[in-house]
Amino acid sequence: RISHVLLCNVTQRVSFWFVVTDPSKNHTLPAVEIQSAIRMNRNRINNAFFLNDQTLEFLKIPSTLAPPTDPSVPIWIIIFSVIFCIVIVAVMLLILSGIRQRRRKSKGPSEVDDTEDKCENMITIENGIPCDPLDTKGGHINDAFMTEDERLTPL
Amino acid sequence: MEKARPLWANPLQFVFACISYAVGLGNVWRFPYLCQMYGGGSFLVPYLVMLIVEGMPLLYLELAVGQRMRQGSIGAWKTISPYLGGVGLASVVVSFFLSMYYNIINAWAFWYLFHSFQDPLPWSVCPLNDNHTGYDEECEKASSTQYFWYRKTLNISPSIQDSGRVQWEPALCLVLAWLVVYLCVLRGTQSTGKVVYFTALLPYCVLIIYLVRGLTLHGATNGLAYMFTPKLEQLANPKAWINAATQIFFSLGLGFGSLIAFASYNEPSNNCQKHAVIVSLINSSTSIFASIVTFSIYGFKATFNYESCLNKVILLLTNSFDLEDGFLTTSNLEQVKDYLASTFPGKYSEVLPQMRNCSLQAELATAVQGTGLSFIVYTEAIKNMEVSQLWSVLYFFMLLMLGIGSMLGNTAAILTPLTDSKVVSSHLPKEAISGLVCLVNCVIGLVFTMESGNYWFDIFNDYAATLSLLLIVLVETIAVCYVYGLRRFESDLQAMTGRGLNWYWKAMWAGVSPLLIVSLFVFYLSDYILTGTLQYQAWDAFQGQLVTKDYPPYALAVIGLLVASSIMCIPLVALGTFITRCLKRGDTPPAA
Repeated sequence: RISHVLLCNVTQRVSFWFVVTDPSKNHTLPAVEIQSAIRMNRNRINNAFFLNDQTLEFLKIPSTLAPPTDPSVPIWIIIFSVIFCIVIVAVMLLILSGIRQRRRKSKGPSEVDDTEDKCENMITIENGIPCDPLDTKGGHINDAFMTEDERLTPL
Repeated sequence: MEKARPLWANPLQFVFACISYAVGLGNVWRFPYLCQMYGGGSFLVPYLVMLIVEGMPLLYLELAVGQRMRQGSIGAWKTISPYLGGVGLASVVVSFFLSMYYNIINAWAFWYLFHSFQDPLPWSVCPLNDNHTGYDEECEKASSTQYFWYRKTLNISPSIQDSGRVQWEPALCLVLAWLVVYLCVLRGTQSTGKVVYFTALLPYCVLIIYLVRGLTLHGATNGLAYMFTPKLEQLANPKAWINAATQIFFSLGLGFGSLIAFASYNEPSNNCQKHAVIVSLINSSTSIFASIVTFSIYGFKATFNYESCLNKVILLLTNSFDLEDGFLTTSNLEQVKDYLASTFPGKYSEVLPQMRNCSLQAELATAVQGTGLSFIVYTEAIKNMEVSQLWSVLYFFMLLMLGIGSMLGNTAAILTPLTDSKVVSSHLPKEAISGLVCLVNCVIGLVFTMESGNYWFDIFNDYAATLSLLLIVLVETIAVCYVYGLRRFESDLQAMTGRGLNWYWKAMWAGVSPLLIVSLFVFYLSDYILTGTLQYQAWDAFQGQLVTKDYPPYALAVIGLLVASSIMCIPLVALGTFITRCLKRGDTPPAA
């Protein structure tokens, strides 16, 4: 009851001493009881004044600091796992495509010529100088030489 | 038919690779410190002089050697002279040491990056003690950012002798860091060439964003003014010049063999002179740019702390003397203090011991370098900005890009000689070699995730590369100029690129740069000898601050081993080649 709370020692700044009386027993309640009551209802008292523990201080009552919220799984592990999985998938993809390229290369000589040709094509393009690539595709049969060979009958 | 050597898809990739390698963490956390210590704006004079006299010539030399020889460091120096294969081997050994310990920084950057997605940031509040009545003791004595770094991230032990266990959280981050590096070097220049677009350009985007944010922060001008006011008397201090030379030398990453490796993938007709000048200029201007950002953030942090200190004093006086709220402000604080001292002397003398002397200069003068700058000081500044999660994510992402860019160069320095050598590359495919190198480095790097790991990190950081690199680059310069012959090299370059050598480069290579390196070498040696026992900073959990301790004998032995193992390669390989040649000459008698 408001009439049971007596104020005294009011200063210019907003600070005061107070005692709580018990009308039935006609004496002031001991400080310890008041302190434990305030401790239990600290939040409600603060909210009534739109204040918090930093702005409304009760002398001799240390505020119980709110522990920081600890989520069940630490947040950093979630982000770590996401990035970890992405990187592993990328590594696997690159390795597999490298293996597939190498298998294709070793499958046949025509393939080898193809890649050689590709290499040479790439180099000539990268040089920036558009020169005609030499005809190194496998082997071209030059008809002139062939007929000459046939004319020379083996002994 | 021999496989054609892989090439960069265009010259831009090569430039970006060099920039991404040279612009690393040293530009962000070492140059601002040096600038502050050695005279602010006037430090730029020795820095620019050393850049022109030492940085550009040596960078051009390494790029030219790599482009001419078209092989990794071991093969390149063997071609110059068969006795000098040891130089290349020493480079590989030093690169190996560097990659062992450098990636733990990326692991820490990942750790902080992952922790930046929380509200509030975990390093902005101290955790509570056991009965929830106050904050953790260690955190109270130090600050919350120091606590997060030393206790939560490193879980550091009191001295290097107490090894402790491997911490699984940083170990996981280290594994992730190595996986990312493996992903980038997996395919050689194909993959590296694409990645360097990001690692070279993204840090600049973040730096520009931070520049804009930093300059608009309250108190940024204090930091900038403090840093850039030139203290001209520092120009006479020889340490300023030595530190400028050292910073240029190590910032460009000379001597590791990475530059030779990168240049070996170039077209022979590439204009590496232009590229050398561009890369060194960009490297230095990035340093200066990063220090502008750093000092505006410093200024903000110092002003913030100064004003909080003043506010605490105001609150204390207002409470003790029952003054009106708002009566005391920062402008009339001094007069009111005098008035109170004269009118209420007794009460004032009671309150006086609790009042701290707030000084903006003292806050600004705290100069930090290295991991302390990034993970303690910067995080303290970031936690006071609005939307701190965004700034934190941006900052650590930038650190990651810078670190991974440098790691790519380091691994290239190790992998190029391995893939070049017929012995290794005939047995294993490229992916397996890179995988093996990354795996070995990762396993050894787990040492740095132990509780004493940070102390071992400091050992490697201070001693693994410093002396050896100076000697390696000295031997390189002498080899090209006097063993191979400067005229012969000049005609090679002429044939290769179509351009001759300017007299300036010849003068620098033959005379000035070797002299500079010798003087740096002498200075370092005398410094090591004069200081006697080597000491390190250890974190004392009870006092909440760093204390100086001596290294135990086995740590000193490791230091000696680190330095010796790379330097000894040069004479040992020369001796070995000499002996094998003598034996061969003895075996095959000359045909009459």
